[in-house]
Amino acid sequence: MTGFLSHIKVLELGDEKGEFCGKLFAGAGADVIKVEPPGGSSTRSIGPFYQDRPDPERSLYFWHFNFGKRGVTLDINAAEGRDLLRGLLAQTAVVIDSLPLDTMENLGFTWDALRSLNPGLVYVRITPFGRSGPWRDYKANDLVHMALGGEMMHCGYDPKPDLTYDTPPIAAQMWHSYHIAGNQAFIAALGALFARGNTQRGDYIDIPIHQAISCCTEHDVECFLFTGRPYLRLTGRHARPEPDAPTQYRTKDGRYHCIIVNPFAGGFEAAVELLRRKGFADDLGSEKYKDPENRRNREFHHHFYDQIGKCVAASNLEETWHEAQDLGIPWVPVRKPEENLNDPQWRARETFGEVDHPELGRSFTYPRSPMLSEECPWRTGPRAPLIGEHNAEVYGEILGKGADELSRLRERKII
Amino acid sequence: MRPLEGVRIADLTWLMAGAGGLKLMSALGAEVIRVEWHGRMDWLRFHAQTPIPYRQPDHAPLDPQNPNRSGYFNAINAGKYGISLNVKHPEGRKLFLRLVGISDVVVESFTAETMDKLGLGYEVLKSVKPDIIYYQQPGWGKKGPYVKYASYGPIAQGISGLTEQSGLPDPAPPAGWGFSYMDWSGAYYCAIGMLLALNYKQATGKGQYIDGSQIEPAIYMTGTAILDYVANGRHWQRDGNRSRYQPAAPHGAYRCAGPGADRWIAIAVRDEQEWRGLVREMGQPGWSADPKFATMAARIANQDELDRRIEAWTKDQDAYAIQERLQKAGVPAGVCQRAQDRLERDPQLKHLKWMIDLPHSYVGTWPHRDIAWHFANLESDQGGPTRRSAPCYGEDNDYVYGELLKLSKAEQERLRRDGVI
Repeated sequence: MTGFLSHIKVLELGDEKGEFCGKLFAGAGADVIKVEPPGGSSTRSIGPFYQDRPDPERSLYFWHFNFGKRGVTLDINAAEGRDLLRGLLAQTAVVIDSLPLDTMENLGFTWDALRSLNPGLVYVRITPFGRSGPWRDYKANDLVHMALGGEMMHCGYDPKPDLTYDTPPIAAQMWHSYHIAGNQAFIAALGALFARGNTQRGDYIDIPIHQAISCCTEHDVECFLFTGRPYLRLTGRHARPEPDAPTQYRTKDGRYHCIIVNPFAGGFEAAVELLRRKGFADDLGSEKYKDPENRRNREFHHHFYDQIGKCVAASNLEETWHEAQDLGIPWVPVRKPEENLNDPQWRARETFGEVDHPELGRSFTYPRSPMLSEECPWRTGPRAPLIGEHNAEVYGEILGKGADELSRLRERKII
Repeated sequence: MRPLEGVRIADLTWLMAGAGGLKLMSALGAEVIRVEWHGRMDWLRFHAQTPIPYRQPDHAPLDPQNPNRSGYFNAINAGKYGISLNVKHPEGRKLFLRLVGISDVVVESFTAETMDKLGLGYEVLKSVKPDIIYYQQPGWGKKGPYVKYASYGPIAQGISGLTEQSGLPDPAPPAGWGFSYMDWSGAYYCAIGMLLALNYKQATGKGQYIDGSQIEPAIYMTGTAILDYVANGRHWQRDGNRSRYQPAAPHGAYRCAGPGADRWIAIAVRDEQEWRGLVREMGQPGWSADPKFATMAARIANQDELDRRIEAWTKDQDAYAIQERLQKAGVPAGVCQRAQDRLERDPQLKHLKWMIDLPHSYVGTWPHRDIAWHFANLESDQGGPTRRSAPCYGEDNDYVYGELLKLSKAEQERLRRDGVI
């Protein structure tokens, strides 16, 4: 048993902009070496922290995003550090670089220099807005990216009856701009790696986060191009030019269900059957509504969705939905992430798994794999690296550095 | 050269979560052959119809029966080839297996057991092409007790926790996502699965079967919240646009002047330097010197009042003017842009050439969003090997049945008459 990319070595330089891409490489079996400045990456300061004690070795953010990587420390701004970096660059298949603009170029690692050093190198450059252009030097974080990219203007709550808003657009939490850019960067890199397998030649790939997320907003761009109509934000459902029926209903225990049932298509009969069993069918099963023509009006819609709402209001979060799904209705509880931990579906698929943290004397449950392959299982460990944990291993193995030299480099704060 | 030149994919996906992954594969140069049958057409083919010609409405009523006018379908299926084939017909099934025999990958996004029922499960595909890669992406995955359950983007977001991670604090409901984020992410993982398997096959010669799911990648993205529960016992709580895990305040969306007063700017202040920049641009208002706002900790503690003060400053101003000023002062700030803004105002996207004109055989040439990666040497754009938008229904029958599968014209005509192609 071996990973998809067990034959690939990856060097990761930078911060949260590139860590998800590196995590995907590591998960798929690549040997990912994360290069941090002496003292550790800035992303070790992102919370939450284990037992709420801020500490660079206790960042749960860092644990998740750096799962399965090896870690070395290196001062790339020092001459000796640059030499070590050059050594690593010469022996890696992929670099993920999300350092501030021009960092590598100013150290002499221009693309021309890199490809003469290592002609097979696939270099993935993730920047906020691109390496050139009028917004090149704009500052952003996840929130600002989600605003400029268009995601945020689609997400929020229903407007008032006059279609104006008293609530702001909402950005989904948890760094999705870096997820979106990281996914696309990974796809491009895998394409370039495949080409490299045929030609032995690498390539340089620019991924501007702003463009990556601007491409990930479903059909707002197409709709505007064809109709000129802007979208409205609507609670928990697709933004569109005019309000439509809700898809999110409040449960008895104050939570929500998400239900997608079309009263025209075949789903209608299934929904009526469920409502009948639960005692909320009212007259929906009557002869009149067997004719779809009698379902094509606003009054019917209100009536239909009201009955769905009453059915949900009589259910708790984890009730009713399995019965609905058994009838073929797309119906789920709106869960918090942790509420998936004990679900039999994810247990059967081993979506979550234990990851050992030996220095803490215990293990923690992580979501470990986004897909199932028997031939190439996703990585099950180890946990994210401690600061400089693999210095001896990596500098010894790859660059042939002995213990004495390493302790000298450590004293001089190069590693 | 395109990176996936020489790779051929038999594409049975539809809607977005699967089909969108294939548009990325065609952008990378794979020959993606989309298999469709008019008896059960992808309903995206009838969605968001394109006026003809582009932006010059022809005043002809949009034709809900025409499968070739959907702008959204055309965007999602750009660069692909398209054939008509009834895989449920015994001869159609045989023909499909001939296509499998000359393909590297088979991919579909039906409900989990459909291919087995069609007699096209992995073992059958493998018997025709021993090193075939078969990527399957039903909503919940094939393995597991929920194999028959249904999923769409909002369903995947709802169950995984992504919907709950967006919105104002209780008692407000979750705001969720205003689009099918997990259709797009589903598309990314569809492409990722195929690309991983192609790289593995290149290294080892082995094909494989991958059991994908639309929901698992969403769970994969909730890891930090999962760990906060596992390690600290903390349940997820929504907190609007505030910065949950890194000290920052102000951190939110603020109303500006503009159409319907639905104009907003996102501002994020993460340190003292950014705070000083913001205060300077606001003209050093007296309140900003109050000890309530003197440190990051104080600003976070008094965030409700801080937000009201900031919005009092932004609400009568032009959002882009604020963005420009704050960015010049080194403060992260960005307008909550709409589609029109990104298409007509955003100079950076224009600089990056994010839209590309692609011809379509029926609706003519119109702009598509290009892929967001820029190779220095390799060639890659949304036109793919076909250099065009999506295929019309059955557009490439001659190429696939004639050139690739070497069926004579007479044979093709017979198959057409018999309702196979």
